[in-house]
Amino acid sequence: MEESRQQQVELANMAGIIERLAGELALGEEPARFIAALEGLGEDEDEAPRDE
Amino acid sequence: MSEESLAGLAEGIRARRISPVEAVERCLARIRKSDSRFHAFIRLDEEGALGAARALEADAAAGRWRGPLHGVPLGFKDLCHLHGLPTSCGTRTPEYFVSAQECSAARRLLDAGAISLGKLNMTELAMGAFGDNAHHGDVDNPWVAGHAAGGSSSGSAAGVAAGFFAGAVGSDTGGSIRLPAGCCGVVGLKPTYGRVSRAGAMVLSWSMDHLGPLAWTARDAALMLKVMAGSDPADATASRRAVPDYASGIQGGVAGVRIGLPENYFFEGVGEEMAAAVRQAAQQLEDLGARVSEIRVPDPRAMTDVAMLITRAEASTVHARVFRERPQDLQPMVRARLQVGFGISAYDYLQALRLRAKLTRAFVREVFAEVDVLLTPVIPEPAPALAPLKAAAVDEFNARGGRFSRLTRPFNGLGLPALSVPCGFTAAGLPLGFQAVGRPFDESLLLRLGHTYQEAAGWHRRRPLVD
Repeated sequence: MEESRQQQVELANMAGIIERLAGELALGEEPARFIAALEGLGEDEDEAPRDE
Repeated sequence: MSEESLAGLAEGIRARRISPVEAVERCLARIRKSDSRFHAFIRLDEEGALGAARALEADAAAGRWRGPLHGVPLGFKDLCHLHGLPTSCGTRTPEYFVSAQECSAARRLLDAGAISLGKLNMTELAMGAFGDNAHHGDVDNPWVAGHAAGGSSSGSAAGVAAGFFAGAVGSDTGGSIRLPAGCCGVVGLKPTYGRVSRAGAMVLSWSMDHLGPLAWTARDAALMLKVMAGSDPADATASRRAVPDYASGIQGGVAGVRIGLPENYFFEGVGEEMAAAVRQAAQQLEDLGARVSEIRVPDPRAMTDVAMLITRAEASTVHARVFRERPQDLQPMVRARLQVGFGISAYDYLQALRLRAKLTRAFVREVFAEVDVLLTPVIPEPAPALAPLKAAAVDEFNARGGRFSRLTRPFNGLGLPALSVPCGFTAAGLPLGFQAVGRPFDESLLLRLGHTYQEAAGWHRRRPLVD
């Protein structure tokens, strides 16, 4: 089953959004920090993004 | 308290004004009379419910009370696995989801004395915002026939509104508890991510799925959540935090509570009657002692996009087998949504998970430094007529669903607790509703706010004519 034109556009849009936003991520960012944020654990401040 | 509410019914049973068998028979009479219109059930379990009611009646006569929900009839979305009943997940396959593990949240409710009336209708694989289902029938809106019940927990919300059961369990991955609650004029709570175990429930997106209660009142939802919540060795994401007694402080009022009405995003493009009703509810809460102010929130579109990408990728991973081996079994709109997920790269998926953590920290830090609760519309427009929606092309139908869930989806990404509360009706008689969003694990405040509002506004005393 092939993607429709609209699905291809949707995929491209999602990839573009992620690429734009990911530039702001710090090296130390990782998915587990989501749970930490909810549980009030760990550092509250974001470290500055760095060139990788 | 009225015995139409879960809290009132539980109290009536405890006071022996009504027996568990009478409570079940009352529900069954309504279901037999009206469910041919609503399609709230996928599988009604009359025999099982009456058997359980008789056992609970005998226990009550002997002074043995199983728990706070002794004899209270409930319904369970048909993605909650319970031994002895098939779990279709809204697909055409009766036993689509087979699990050795019962749904922990449902089992806890039954162990607390609740009675299962059966398994409830839902959109296929919990995908879809409107409550349509080609295999089990479209769920009708109890307030205005022919309008959407909302999805994906469509049978849960419509069944509560129709008086088929005192409360129900739903699931919420992008709004699937709050959207049908908003469409059907009942209360629906998406708890904090991790507050309620998802063990034994079908996975749509393990990062975004939440289980929660739907009921007539915030008090009813509080009673259910107290039983459902808590750590669970079968679900590593279930929080080990202690579970408060949500009902005990529910009458504490809202004096001094800081409520924020978002300046950006949440009122943009929202229908006039909906926006006016939510602002009126905020005014009523201010009159009750809350401090209401406007607040600019971090742009939720970033989190909406991130949450959508994660959900699509995970859903396609989980349901790849039916998509590849039996695609003809799936409705075209479900196939189309799964198709997109296969095209998402690992790079984008993992970046989205990293972004989720960063966006959540920023949102919690910025918003809850200023306010205690955010108040927004829960649906951007009243429940739409279903037939014109279904006449649209697949891509347009799915795009419309995405727009309909744009006020709820950000809070799945953020993992924050969000309570949907009815706040009036349109001129045409369709429910209007707000969504109250709080700090992580602050369900107590949301339920207190919802209860305070409901007692003052009284919308929950109005019931649809379903006979």
